[in-house]
Amino acid sequence: MRIMFNRRHLIGAALAGVSMLATASAAFAVDVTIWCWDTNFNGAAMKEAAARYNAAHPDVNIIIDDSDTQDNIRQKLQTQLLAGTTEGLPDIVLIQDDQAKKYLLSFPGAFEPIGDTIDMTQFANYKVAAATVDGKSYSLPFDSGVVGFFYRSDYFSEAGFSDADLQNLTWDQLIEIGKTVKEKTGHELFGIDYNEVGWIRMMLNSAGQWYFNPDGTLNLVGNPTFKAALKVYQDIWTNGLAKPVSGWTDFTNSFTSGDVAGVPIGVWIVGTIKANAAADSGKWAVAPVPRLDVEGSINASNWGGSSWYVLASSPTDEKAAALDFLKTVWAGDVDFYQKILVGQGAVGTWLQAREGDAYKSSDEFFGGQPVWQNFSNWLAQVPDVDYGIFTSEVDSAISAQLPTIAQGGDLDAAIEAINAQATQATQ
Amino acid sequence: MASRVVVREHINGWLFIAPALILLGIFMIYPIIWSLWMSFQTGRGMNFSFGGLANIQRLFADTVFLRALGNTMIFLVVQVPIMIILALLFAVALNDTKLWGRSFFRTAIFLPCVTSLVAYAVLFKSMFSAEGVVNATLVGLGLDPVPWLTDPFWAKVLIIMAITWRWTGYNMIFYLAALQNVDRSIYEAARIDGVPPWARFLYITLPMLKPVILFTTVISTIGTLQLFDEPYNITQGGPSQATLTLSYYIYDLTFRFMPSFGYSATVSWVIVVLVGILTFVQFLVAREGRRA
Amino acid sequence: MTTTETSAGVVRRSTTSAMNPHILFRSLQRALLYIALSIAAFISIFPFYWMVVGSTNTSPDIAHGKASPGSYLFQNVAAFFATVDVPRMFWNSALLALVGVALTLIVSSLAGYGFEMFKSRFRDRIFGFLLLMLSIPFAALMVPLFIMMSNLKLINTFTAVLLPGIASIFIIFYFRQATKAFPGELRDAARIDGLNEWQIFVYVYLPVMRSTYAAAIIIIFMANWNSYLWPLIILITEENKTVTLIVSALSYAYVPDYGVIMISAVFATLPTVLIFFLLQRRFVEGMLGSVK
Repeated sequence: MRIMFNRRHLIGAALAGVSMLATASAAFAVDVTIWCWDTNFNGAAMKEAAARYNAAHPDVNIIIDDSDTQDNIRQKLQTQLLAGTTEGLPDIVLIQDDQAKKYLLSFPGAFEPIGDTIDMTQFANYKVAAATVDGKSYSLPFDSGVVGFFYRSDYFSEAGFSDADLQNLTWDQLIEIGKTVKEKTGHELFGIDYNEVGWIRMMLNSAGQWYFNPDGTLNLVGNPTFKAALKVYQDIWTNGLAKPVSGWTDFTNSFTSGDVAGVPIGVWIVGTIKANAAADSGKWAVAPVPRLDVEGSINASNWGGSSWYVLASSPTDEKAAALDFLKTVWAGDVDFYQKILVGQGAVGTWLQAREGDAYKSSDEFFGGQPVWQNFSNWLAQVPDVDYGIFTSEVDSAISAQLPTIAQGGDLDAAIEAINAQATQATQ
Repeated sequence: MASRVVVREHINGWLFIAPALILLGIFMIYPIIWSLWMSFQTGRGMNFSFGGLANIQRLFADTVFLRALGNTMIFLVVQVPIMIILALLFAVALNDTKLWGRSFFRTAIFLPCVTSLVAYAVLFKSMFSAEGVVNATLVGLGLDPVPWLTDPFWAKVLIIMAITWRWTGYNMIFYLAALQNVDRSIYEAARIDGVPPWARFLYITLPMLKPVILFTTVISTIGTLQLFDEPYNITQGGPSQATLTLSYYIYDLTFRFMPSFGYSATVSWVIVVLVGILTFVQFLVAREGRRA
Repeated sequence: MTTTETSAGVVRRSTTSAMNPHILFRSLQRALLYIALSIAAFISIFPFYWMVVGSTNTSPDIAHGKASPGSYLFQNVAAFFATVDVPRMFWNSALLALVGVALTLIVSSLAGYGFEMFKSRFRDRIFGFLLLMLSIPFAALMVPLFIMMSNLKLINTFTAVLLPGIASIFIIFYFRQATKAFPGELRDAARIDGLNEWQIFVYVYLPVMRSTYAAAIIIIFMANWNSYLWPLIILITEENKTVTLIVSALSYAYVPDYGVIMISAVFATLPTVLIFFLLQRRFVEGMLGSVK
């Protein structure tokens, strides 16, 4: 549609003849439009990818729009898919993994099955599973949300704990340590926003669980893992180890400012920490995320992470260029993954990327730890879960109960209330 | 002769409102009919089927809806009267031509409503954060800091304060403009007759301003029933859905959850019905007052 | 006790007879009034101070609640201009707001005048119906409107942003209420002079209602300038984005630069404040002129 016919291209196409038509998309100047939401993170990574692709394919014009927030992108995407219009949509869009199934199942045919073009076994399995419906994979996996426990080693050592004391803990053990840290240094362990359900999800994920049974029904009442997660959440609050915060920036400020002692969260937070806590370089460290005291829970989990989707409605030539771009750079360029790891702290999920040099280096910001190697090891262990289509609905039901739970409310009653609201919302 | 005038009146009456009616027909009535039709459909995404009254039944069992409805009504019942009364008092005080610094006060009180929504949300969030300037002041005065953003009760208070801050001056301007149109000689006469100020306010100002008060009350009622921007930008509807409003829930149902457009259309019709009832009541009250 | 008003004469007298308890009470009342107004003005203005001071500080300083002016203004402005295409977004917003004001003013004031001046039972019913429609939350109409704009091939155009707002029920309602104060004798006189209805509207109504128009301009300009949800959906490409959209995107960044956010808030607020101050004088003049 947006092909620009200039004479050189026409002659080229004519000379190449019919055989050229199959791959003609590359011969014309094509605009590939991409939506993503964080200028410093996925936007920057995408710009790097585009620059690399353009070196060999100058005729593909890659337009990256990273000026909107994730909420706004969801809203624009959903409005247009609901309206059944496509002219305002990009060719490639970034979607967070827990939202993927909802889009794939509500708007069948809206997304291109990338698995038909690109070999999906090259990517971390749990990422591929999040976007696979009826055996077809629809996403090119981008970043991992593998969780690390980021903490201020100076606070912990002041309280008498070395880095070795923080390895492979259970949550209960960390809470005990946290009490001492609070007592000795005055810093709470975490800043927590009542609206943030990520804490519960991260704990469930460490046991390979989510809100749902394999058949899609709710798995909340009578689920010991879910109750254990809520119990840990409650203990953090009732022991005075949480500082209430509101909103994302308030949350990130709580740890980047050194107000609280740490945060267990996805590796994508590295950029934020380094940017806002630059003065505290060397005082930070990363340990494996604690596990729940239930069967199957391990010291590895996931929080967030997103993947690239190609819109099926894109014009043929743009779609072909988009797929070729993803295949060439995102599923074939080891150096690219080193560059975005160093530049943006983006841990890709293309398995070969881990063989690069950057993944083997140590980081002075984190006291010379080989953080990337650690993260890739944990990444390999993250249990895969099925996010289903109603994650946002259950999130909302849980967040409604979190303040009550934090104040020491009865867990069984809270679970009943969550279940009631979730059942209602997922009909 | 007379009938020709009547016919001309009639034609003119239609001509003046025709451009607006045509535009409203296209960009308002059509989408409304669409949404009314949708409210009888059930299904996810774009797979709809006729569900009859299923969506209305769903409303009554939906605890989130009931909570959003409750929150919205609290905002309405608390915030609108506070704002209208404050705006009226300011307007009457500032209508006094002998008041020193009158234009300064008027400008200052009006200023909040010219900020952009996004800017004011950012400002309120930062001022009312746990260690923000408001809590620092409270502590400085020897009081306890208030968990504005993280406590369900105080979050509601914050939203009410934010809306009142932004819209009081706006309503005041309507009253000021209306007071300018009130004949000053009536006041002069009343003053000379020894009518005290409060009685002048009650028996002259209020009845004169009644159309404008009715107007602003209806508009504020509608605005509050549709409240979305402030909870979305300041508290994200939280904590614990304490500031979730009906419009916010509609947004969630349409954009955040598995899109269930039929049901979200049904919730928006609840707002329409509520406004219909409340506006009717307000007009009735106004009419009663006029008779008395 | 004939005059209790605090006219100049009374004030003068009160200085000579300060012992009069009634006048003492008056002065006390006056003092309380000034205190109340000063508090209101302070609360109204403080967030603006916070914003302006914030724009001169570094991001970490703002995050830690620094409330005194800093020396980082130039760097923040530079960073703001480097991050976004400032002239472009201003041009977009200004174009949308100004064209929106002109169109809305024409269409909606005509309709408000028409509804009030040419009364008929049927048109009153239509008006009542429109009032009810005002209560439908925009979120409910967004999807059908979007489909419509898409069918008209208007996605990502300013036309699509403006079209649904030109016939504003709110502004029609406002003009209808204001028209109630328009003296009927003027219209009758104009008719006797042989003016037709349109001439009356242009040559009699418009000049008399200057203050109403000035207030409407402020209201519409602010609404258009701050408009968020609909432009967000309709304007797809970056070169069409408005100031409000850009400020919102900046404030939700994962690593927000508060200095840049504050300066962007200042820039987003400046035009509406400017319009207000520009029109305020006219507004007052117009009001004084319209009072006979």
